[in-house]
Amino acid sequence: MSKEFMDHRKHVTRRYFMGKLSLGVGSVALGSLLIPDLFSNSESPVASTGLPHFAPKAKRIIYLFQNGAPSQLESFDYKPLLNKMTGQELPASIRMGQRLTGMTSGQSKFPLVGSYFKFNQHGNSGAWVSEMFPNISKVVDDICFIKTMHTEAINHDPALTFMQTGAQQGNRPSMGSWLSYGLGSENKNLPAFCVLLSRGRGNGQGVYSKLWTNGFLDSVHQGVQFSSSEERVLYLKDPEGRDRADRRNMLDQLSKLNDLNYKEFGDPEIQARVQQYEMAYRMQTAVPELTDLSKEPDNIIKMYGSDCLVPGTYAANCLLARKLSEAGVRFVQLYHQGWDQHGNMVGEMPLQAQDTDRATAALIMDLKQRGLLDETLVIWGTEFGRTNYCQGDLTIKNYGRDHHPRCFTMWMAGGGVKAGTTYGETDEFGYNIASNPVHVNDFHATVLHLLGLNHEQLTFKHLGRRYRLTDVGGKVISGLMA
Amino acid sequence: MQQSIRFFKNLSLFFLLLTSFIFLFEDRVVIPLWLQVAGRLHPALLHIPIGIVVMLVLLLLVRSQFKSKQFKKVLAISLTMATVTITLTAFFGLLLSFSDDYGADSLQRHKVSGLALAWLSYFVLVFYLSTSEIRMLKHAGILLVFVLLVFVGHTGSVLTHGENFILAPLQTSVPRVDSVNASVYQLAVMPVLEKKCFSCHNEKKAKGKLIMTDPSKFKTGGESGVAFVAGKSDSSRMIHHILLPLAHDDHMPPDGKPQLTGFEIDLLKAWINSGADFDKPLAAYNPTDTLVKLAGKTIESYYASSVNYTFKPATPDLIQKLNTPFRSVFPIHINSPALQADFFVKEYFTIQSLKELQQINEQLVALSLSKMPITDSDLQLLSAFQNLEKLNLNFTNLSGTGLGNLDKCSNLKSISLAGTQVTPETIKPLLSLPNLKTLYLWNTGIDTTQQHQLEKDYPTINFVHTAYKDESILTLSKPMLVNEGILTQQDLLTLKHTMPGVTIRYSLDGTKPDSVNGIIYYGPIKLDETVKLQAVACKPGWYCSKLLETTVYLEGYKPENITLLTPADKQYRGEGALSLTDGRKGFVDIFKEPSWLGFRENDFVSSVDFGNQPPTLNKVVISYSDNVGSYIFPPTEVQIWGGQSEHNFKLLTTEKITEPTGYRTPFNGFIPVSLKESNFQYYKIVAKPIAKLPKWHGGKGQKGWFFVDEVFFY
Repeated sequence: MSKEFMDHRKHVTRRYFMGKLSLGVGSVALGSLLIPDLFSNSESPVASTGLPHFAPKAKRIIYLFQNGAPSQLESFDYKPLLNKMTGQELPASIRMGQRLTGMTSGQSKFPLVGSYFKFNQHGNSGAWVSEMFPNISKVVDDICFIKTMHTEAINHDPALTFMQTGAQQGNRPSMGSWLSYGLGSENKNLPAFCVLLSRGRGNGQGVYSKLWTNGFLDSVHQGVQFSSSEERVLYLKDPEGRDRADRRNMLDQLSKLNDLNYKEFGDPEIQARVQQYEMAYRMQTAVPELTDLSKEPDNIIKMYGSDCLVPGTYAANCLLARKLSEAGVRFVQLYHQGWDQHGNMVGEMPLQAQDTDRATAALIMDLKQRGLLDETLVIWGTEFGRTNYCQGDLTIKNYGRDHHPRCFTMWMAGGGVKAGTTYGETDEFGYNIASNPVHVNDFHATVLHLLGLNHEQLTFKHLGRRYRLTDVGGKVISGLMA
Repeated sequence: MQQSIRFFKNLSLFFLLLTSFIFLFEDRVVIPLWLQVAGRLHPALLHIPIGIVVMLVLLLLVRSQFKSKQFKKVLAISLTMATVTITLTAFFGLLLSFSDDYGADSLQRHKVSGLALAWLSYFVLVFYLSTSEIRMLKHAGILLVFVLLVFVGHTGSVLTHGENFILAPLQTSVPRVDSVNASVYQLAVMPVLEKKCFSCHNEKKAKGKLIMTDPSKFKTGGESGVAFVAGKSDSSRMIHHILLPLAHDDHMPPDGKPQLTGFEIDLLKAWINSGADFDKPLAAYNPTDTLVKLAGKTIESYYASSVNYTFKPATPDLIQKLNTPFRSVFPIHINSPALQADFFVKEYFTIQSLKELQQINEQLVALSLSKMPITDSDLQLLSAFQNLEKLNLNFTNLSGTGLGNLDKCSNLKSISLAGTQVTPETIKPLLSLPNLKTLYLWNTGIDTTQQHQLEKDYPTINFVHTAYKDESILTLSKPMLVNEGILTQQDLLTLKHTMPGVTIRYSLDGTKPDSVNGIIYYGPIKLDETVKLQAVACKPGWYCSKLLETTVYLEGYKPENITLLTPADKQYRGEGALSLTDGRKGFVDIFKEPSWLGFRENDFVSSVDFGNQPPTLNKVVISYSDNVGSYIFPPTEVQIWGGQSEHNFKLLTTEKITEPTGYRTPFNGFIPVSLKESNFQYYKIVAKPIAKLPKWHGGKGQKGWFFVDEVFFY
């Protein structure tokens, strides 16, 4: 902080100006030697202007993050061979000595286990979906399944951080912040990036605010976490005895004071703060309408399930996500916890599915009937998959699965995705990828592409180099796009 | 010194003659391999004469600083060195021209000019060393060498860097293709070759004598034959080289250069298999052709992302002026003249704000008025937007009578009318719009039968209603307890449900309420002790909710002092005895937090002091954690002792607690222990952790834990 103040003071001295000028001319000359197209006006890297680089397929994202890693083998990646071979050892030719977590590396046996839950084909696309997801089964023709996601991390926190920020260490801007930076806010009365949390009944893993951090981007791009209580945005009501006019007057005076301070110190955070005050003022009008679910018609309530009226549930978050997205919020990030079934798969996973299945499908149908699915990208995703062998005791009635980063399933629906298809294939053991792998970087590149952004051009210079969501990797997977 | 100058002069002549000889009889001489290695030094060596000659020119400029005789010597030495290195460079360069494949034209230019330079510098040297006194002419000779050197250097750089290397950064690249009739080759195949192959296989630098940039030369092939056989990718040399292992010498592109991706290889194969045509547009291919499938994607997205709008963009100032917090106006992407406008927050909407968009009536292609209070008569404002493609009128106050105003917006592709009162009659004018593809009609005055009729009558339009079928009966969500935590004596137990029209039934005595049993909840309830609350919500048309089961804690009498007579486990000491009466409940799962006290090795024994005027107690409630999976069990037995001094207690009552019979979901439980009305100053509370975990438990036989967070007195 103090460095910025000092820099600001330096701006006004003649000596500093002259020094900067000579250095500037020199570096422009040097720069033109090092970067041949520095002076050309074609296809040079575009800094963010808050607009898509090319015509976007989707304008907004709703990202339904299933935190904890729901098993792909009990949901969407149907592997009948595992049922036939349940109890038999995972062949070494399949495992190929690949790494394990500390939780199963001590196991002497790796018995394969098939899904306890039945699979059926659905829709015109004939997608296989487990019986735990009867409602998602009804919308499979709007969905593009990616069976071959793979990641680099094997434990929750790094994998989750990698999936959401493109790096495992957790100091980078999250996906929503990149989009807010790249596309700007559509509705200036609401944050461009909103975060909604819920918790299921299964074994859970934490989520932390580093997952919706703006990292080195301007703090206006930070995800705004909505409360799980009835008052979804806290402190939005005027205090008793104060009305809007008082509030306006107070903000006007405050902004004058802040302005004085800005002129003196030039700290950009002061302006960011003033902007946030103004947005909060406008949110006082915009948010109550959004969070008021009492005007939703009965059939919408039934569609999402009656839980959607209970603040803090996944269903309520889905309904709110629809309303936020409808109101132009670029990126609505949901996290639903409780998918970490190391044991008790049979007991816990149905509970998790019950809490999410209906509302997930409802969200897709609801967006569709409003004409919004075309321009909204809905992503159902997680941090990694689960092993095809059993963790702990394998009994007739129950089993568990460990972390598996080599393949897992995610799906997308809406804006620009190839609906009613499946991309990629895992081997018949559900252990390795057989064809068309999709790395996390590739996934990010593709999502940015759908939003009209070139992942190589969406950069921000920090600590001397240009950073991207996809870091130094990523390719756009055209097979996912319509 | 004279001698060495003569030696170098003659050495130069030797190389000069040798170079000229080879140059003349290029086709008949065979260069030994080791000499070809020397040839590769050419690019390094060439910088030395450049340096020396530049130095010579500089010396000429500052010659007044030297004594004339000395200057002559310096110049003679430098010029000799320049000549030797120039001839040597020319010789090496000629050797290099044998080993590498360069485009013929520019190579020939470089060879000839290089040799000329070598001869020129030799003659200038000879002339300089001669006795002639015409100094000006001597110096002019040196300048001539410099000028020719610059030219030769340039022709050489064209060989390595290509034409126009220097000015390239200042030139803007011309958009590649713009016509819809452009061929698949131009749109999809060439961009791949351009990225991965053209840098070596072009007119200037035809490696392997293959030039790919020109279709006719590409067809002819290179020194080892044709590059591809139309229709047969398997027998095409190009594909063969691409598919060789990376380590193989003939693998293309060579190791270290950007490699082709799987998709790109498939695309090249498909193009060859489909006849390797350079001019055929996409439409001319059979739609089932693999090439169409692969290239189609690239081409379609090329067109989709570059819809050519012919109208002029609005000025940035105007766009900025039109942006308010409640009206966003922005280009659909960078450099696009097309604009999108969205309105937000209906409280701030005015018709004036819609009228102002007339200033961009040409550029507006997408407009959202969703939820804004506009009426049918306002729609006439929209007739000015002739390039409008997408219009969102969801949840506006329309009845549809004004939709006729849109008949001039002939570019409309998608109109959303969900949540309006439009009818099959009022949407009629929309159905004749020439480009209309999708109409969203969910939640309007149009029912599904009418929709099916529309679908029959207008098969080209997609009418979207809803995919949701209301068939199953669903379960309501549970009622909610409004005041969580511990109630004070003034608080009332309050329940609520967010669904309008539900009935809540409850019980406080452990009986299960259902749709007919239990007390109907009308309003907040006054409690006089900690209770187990069970409540259920019911509504006609829904299944009753699952049971809400929870303990509602009520604050009791506060003792003056409370102490632990036995220590809590080191790991779970909480805040000592204070944790027991601080009014803070522990969380179910998180037992390592200060609300909880954990006991395992010894009983929980606590002493309570109510002071001089003790209240009359009827009940003691112990709040504990039940988390059997984590070895945390209810105590097997609770004893309450009373006494008038700290040292003299008598047992008032003992409560045995039944052992859990299997794993269960963790919860916070409570043990109510009734007392006969007693008013002792001191009480002692004892709870015994389970000594041996039961047989069904994974830790059978081990000691279990007892966790307590609060004790209440009533």
